[in-house]
Amino acid sequence: MKTIHIAVLVLLIVAVVISTAIYQQQEQEQEETKLKVIYAGSLIVPFEEIEKQFESMHPGVDVQIEGHGSIQAIRQVTDIHKEVDVLAVADYSLIPDMMYATPSGEDYTDWYVKFATNQMVIAYNNKSKYADEITESNWYEILERPEVKFGFSNPTLDSCGYRTLMVTQLAESYYDNPTIFDDLIACNFEPTISVTKEGDTYIVFVPEIFEPHAGKVVVRGGSVQLLALLEYGGLDYTFQYKSVAQQHGLRFVELPDQIDLSSTEYEDDYKKVNVRLGFQRFSAVDTERVGRPIYYGVTIPRNAPQPELAVEFVKFVIGKKGQRVLGDLEQPTIQPVTDKFDVIPDELRSVVIKETKK
Amino acid sequence: MKESRKIIGFVFVITVICIGAIAAVMYMYPIGKPEEKINWNLTLIGTAEKVVAFDELKAMPSYAGYGGFFSTVGMINGPFKCKGVPVEDLCALVGGINDSNTLWVSAPDGYMMVFTYDQVKGDFITYEPATLKEMPHSPLKMILTYEQDGASLSEDDGRPLRLAIVSEDKLLTEGHYWIKWVDKIAIRAIKNQNKT
Repeated sequence: MKTIHIAVLVLLIVAVVISTAIYQQQEQEQEETKLKVIYAGSLIVPFEEIEKQFESMHPGVDVQIEGHGSIQAIRQVTDIHKEVDVLAVADYSLIPDMMYATPSGEDYTDWYVKFATNQMVIAYNNKSKYADEITESNWYEILERPEVKFGFSNPTLDSCGYRTLMVTQLAESYYDNPTIFDDLIACNFEPTISVTKEGDTYIVFVPEIFEPHAGKVVVRGGSVQLLALLEYGGLDYTFQYKSVAQQHGLRFVELPDQIDLSSTEYEDDYKKVNVRLGFQRFSAVDTERVGRPIYYGVTIPRNAPQPELAVEFVKFVIGKKGQRVLGDLEQPTIQPVTDKFDVIPDELRSVVIKETKK
Repeated sequence: MKESRKIIGFVFVITVICIGAIAAVMYMYPIGKPEEKINWNLTLIGTAEKVVAFDELKAMPSYAGYGGFFSTVGMINGPFKCKGVPVEDLCALVGGINDSNTLWVSAPDGYMMVFTYDQVKGDFITYEPATLKEMPHSPLKMILTYEQDGASLSEDDGRPLRLAIVSEDKLLTEGHYWIKWVDKIAIRAIKNQNKT
């Protein structure tokens, strides 16, 4: 009998331990509220910190962040129909273009808040050739030198890529040198990248096959690969967002405001360069990219599973604490402005102002 | 002692009965769903046009290799073992592809990518999974995969057909090439872009 008692006791203990563990796990899963946040790749560093801080302020909330290129980020909602609570992208204009009353009749949101900005720079490190010689006024001459290798991201895949083409085309007017684009970009590609002038506007045509034909220029899908190449010595210079260069501890050349896509003051000049892509990678977005200042936008899709918590998260990002996190991690911020002050959630009105159209 | 033997005997009998019952249930109701029929058509456009049903494609000679990809922010997926049909073989069904062509691959969600002839032949940059450092590779093959690590693709992985770049090496390529839910492959002449 003694053996039976012991066996039953052991079985009971095991059963109690297992059921308690299962119960606790289920309880934990039930209690934890998940907040799905999709953001542009260039926000990866500050959003990891924002995630931590928001979770510490909201016990029981699990912020699940996921980075994509800006267009892909929006497509998670519009084309792939994922339920997302917050979307933050590197080009605010994609939100009205892709999410407001679309041709299919869908209406995924009807407001955005601009909350951050950026500027194009040329990033490099101590190993880069002529690292101690390059300046704001001679960068294009340094990059032209035969022994120098530079890179940028593919304009059909990444906004930093088509913005690189805009910067080099704008440089021709600013430096009064009509061969900068040809010497740096066009002559290194086969098929070539051509430029035509329509009225006041330069149209840069990106062919469907975008391949440099010699080793001088390197094109990769995004910053991740270019930064790795720079680190391993496969590149001397790369066009990047300033925030990305700073977050990775790189040296960089700041370009004049007239060409770095950072300033509202030069908005009309930026508009004079458009990039036309050789094929429509996403049916939801057309192939023409218009030069404009870089502004990041955030919104809450209509089908957000946690709309109230999403508002709190957006308020955190665009409020003082979030802006401090962004600033501390080298992501420049702006006074948050919205296109639809009357439409945005009430709780956000205290932290945004209405956008004034020119 | 006698009592203990009785208990051991009892436990033994119960165990045998349980195993027998489980085996009978598993025999009658096998675990896992039977492979459901996939209604999916792949449209091939070349000098001819042809629609290939999923089952027809699966009956074609297959190729298996390893491949994985990473997203624009460096999120790594794989490498997996992928099995599928070489894209070159599919092109051959509609007249073949050569170096004056490009390959336009698209999906019903509105996503499309254009590939060069060299890429169709396997000209891609490959990356080491741990560091994302560019690495040399053994010959690569572009395939339309329907099986990943021995199982059919899940919806999130692009079920039923996804473009994959594979080889004998466990390396990565850029994620934007790995088109999910592929339903159309078109061979087109290279456009003349010199509009200056």
